[in-house]
Amino acid sequence: MSSSTTSQTPARHAAGHGTGVDIGVERLAKVYAQAIIAAADKAGCRGQVLEELAGIVHDVLPKAPAAAGVFASPRITPEEKSAVIDRIFSGKLAPTTLNSLHVLARHERLGILPQVAAAAARLADEMEGLSQATITTAVPLDPAEQSRIVGEVEAAVGKRLAPTFVISPELIGGLVVRVADTVYDQSVATSLVRLRDRLKQRSIHEIQYGRDRLGTP
Amino acid sequence: MKFNTDEIASVLREEIGRFESRIDVREVGRVLEVGDGIARVWGLSGVMAGEMVEFPGGITGLAFNLEENSVGVIILGDYLKVTEGDEVRSTGKLLSVPVGDAVIGRVLDPLGNPLDGKGPVVTDLRRPVETLAPGVAERQPVREPLQTGIKAIDAMTPVGRGQRELIIGDRKTGKTAIGIDAIINQKNSGVKCFYVAVGQKDSSVAVAIDTLRKYGAMDYTTVIVSGASTAAPLQYIAPYSGTAMAEHFMYNGQHALIVYDDLSKQATAYRQLSLLMRRPPGREAYPGDVFYAHSRLLERSAKLSKEKGGGSLTSLPIIETLEGEVSAYIPTNVISITDGQIYLQPDLFFAGQRPAMNAGISVSRVGGAAQTKAMKKVAGGLRLDLASFRELEAFAQLGTDLDAATQQRLDRGYRMVELLKQGQFAPMDTVDQVMSIYAGTRGHLDDVKREDVADWEKGFLTFVRDQIPELRRRIDESKELDAEGERQLEAAIAEYKRQRATKGSDSRQLAGAR
Repeated sequence: MSSSTTSQTPARHAAGHGTGVDIGVERLAKVYAQAIIAAADKAGCRGQVLEELAGIVHDVLPKAPAAAGVFASPRITPEEKSAVIDRIFSGKLAPTTLNSLHVLARHERLGILPQVAAAAARLADEMEGLSQATITTAVPLDPAEQSRIVGEVEAAVGKRLAPTFVISPELIGGLVVRVADTVYDQSVATSLVRLRDRLKQRSIHEIQYGRDRLGTP
Repeated sequence: MKFNTDEIASVLREEIGRFESRIDVREVGRVLEVGDGIARVWGLSGVMAGEMVEFPGGITGLAFNLEENSVGVIILGDYLKVTEGDEVRSTGKLLSVPVGDAVIGRVLDPLGNPLDGKGPVVTDLRRPVETLAPGVAERQPVREPLQTGIKAIDAMTPVGRGQRELIIGDRKTGKTAIGIDAIINQKNSGVKCFYVAVGQKDSSVAVAIDTLRKYGAMDYTTVIVSGASTAAPLQYIAPYSGTAMAEHFMYNGQHALIVYDDLSKQATAYRQLSLLMRRPPGREAYPGDVFYAHSRLLERSAKLSKEKGGGSLTSLPIIETLEGEVSAYIPTNVISITDGQIYLQPDLFFAGQRPAMNAGISVSRVGGAAQTKAMKKVAGGLRLDLASFRELEAFAQLGTDLDAATQQRLDRGYRMVELLKQGQFAPMDTVDQVMSIYAGTRGHLDDVKREDVADWEKGFLTFVRDQIPELRRRIDESKELDAEGERQLEAAIAEYKRQRATKGSDSRQLAGAR
């Protein structure tokens, strides 16, 4: 899809598909994300706010690991955090983004900023009717193939997709598409597993129903 | 033994020919945390409550708690093999177990997997573990008796087909023995039996299975085992899966008997699950729906209407009390659900009265409707008589002088207590029961010494069987004791007493001559 979606995807999917998810944090992040989107919509700058939040999480924080520590530390008072935010971001961000950071700081929730940003991106996609999709293949695809696959999957599921492409040689061949919690699996690996199970089942069945038929006396 | 390789090759070829690339669609989630038989899953947003889910390696689970962001799953199988990050897939199916004739004579786990090493259970018939109980229109009143073969029970707290009769008592008071005896007594009655062992020591279950096998009861019995070492989820579902297997026979117009040994352990397993799932604890830390857990289980025992085939499912749930505390949470719940209870007391047990049934507080709410006419005639009032005897006995211990009438009632009571004693694994035929209880309640034992009562009874029953078989046949066929039958019985008792007296004097004379 659009280049902006692809750039954001690693973080968004970390929430749902990775492990180490803290349900409490996710729930909290969703509340803040809803509030931020509502505020941004009021100010008419949803896209900008989302982009800025994603920018802070993916571009700023990784370059200054200490900043993340400062944000998360309970030893630094909310006032000091607000002052830091003002010093760094003042004038560089949309007022809504800056206010959101201040609110998070005041509530001692700056530590969950990455989850909030991811939840906001997910929520915005949802509101636009976009579904998260992960498309896994065994070999890398070129952009033309990618867009063809996305187009076909969109037609099949009847939803617009925000895709991420993952390469996993373990699939051997074929394609696995995951839209939200539903997996459409057409990989060679899964088919082989299914074939093995069916053969096993079939053999057990044959042996039981015709024990004397299989063996020659 | 040589395998026909062509056969195998053709199966393979056929399968590979059908190996079309079908898209495998599944709803998935990911395990966030796992432990103590439960897992918390992220995703599975479309899963239904009670739906079966699958972990890698074929381990199944049940969606137990649906929360805003996660799903609580109980793991039915080896939860140590499930790890964080595993993919969980929904199956769109409810949990089911194999049913039908294939399960008879088997020892199974609550999922229907064999535990007896006799190979897989070969059947296509399956039944969901959780089903709704039959409604009012599908039932009919309980009328037909289900003979347990235990004199005290068949006479005083009769059990009918379709009834739920609770067996309650402290540990080591013979609760399981009653269930096992009732199963053994179904040998020629065509009733299919199910013994569900929940949270029991595997050694005691092995003894029970061995006993059933020894008395030929495994030919019509299924044992569902979820021992003390199995995970709580399996202990929790064991009674439901046992009921599903038994229901199959009920809905096919047959009769089934199920013994739940015991429901207090199941309640404990359910409490563990609920607390791990963070459901709010209530009284004694049991979850709020523990009553429903038992009521929906026991409601599935029923006598079906004629239109539905007239089958029945009788259940004998067992509850273990602590120090005779029947007013604890689970005992009161199950007492209120069932149609009566058999209350076993340790002091009676140790005084040698076995089964150690307390006649005063044991009841059967279906009562006489489920007794044969003959039994009703001879045993009517027996329960109340025994209860008043117990009171009188306590009074007599004060050592006061008793008038003749009271003394006589006491003597009769002592003899009835002796008569109702019965050995384990020795279920008794209904006709025999009728004859012995007749002898007792009509005062024919009043002149027999207390310690001779058992011997007298044994001798009398043998005498009737050998010398007047027509009397037995008469009662057995008509199921009632009419005037003529009663007259014959009186005559038989008189004749037996005469023979016994002569035999006694003969042996005395012999002893004197020597």
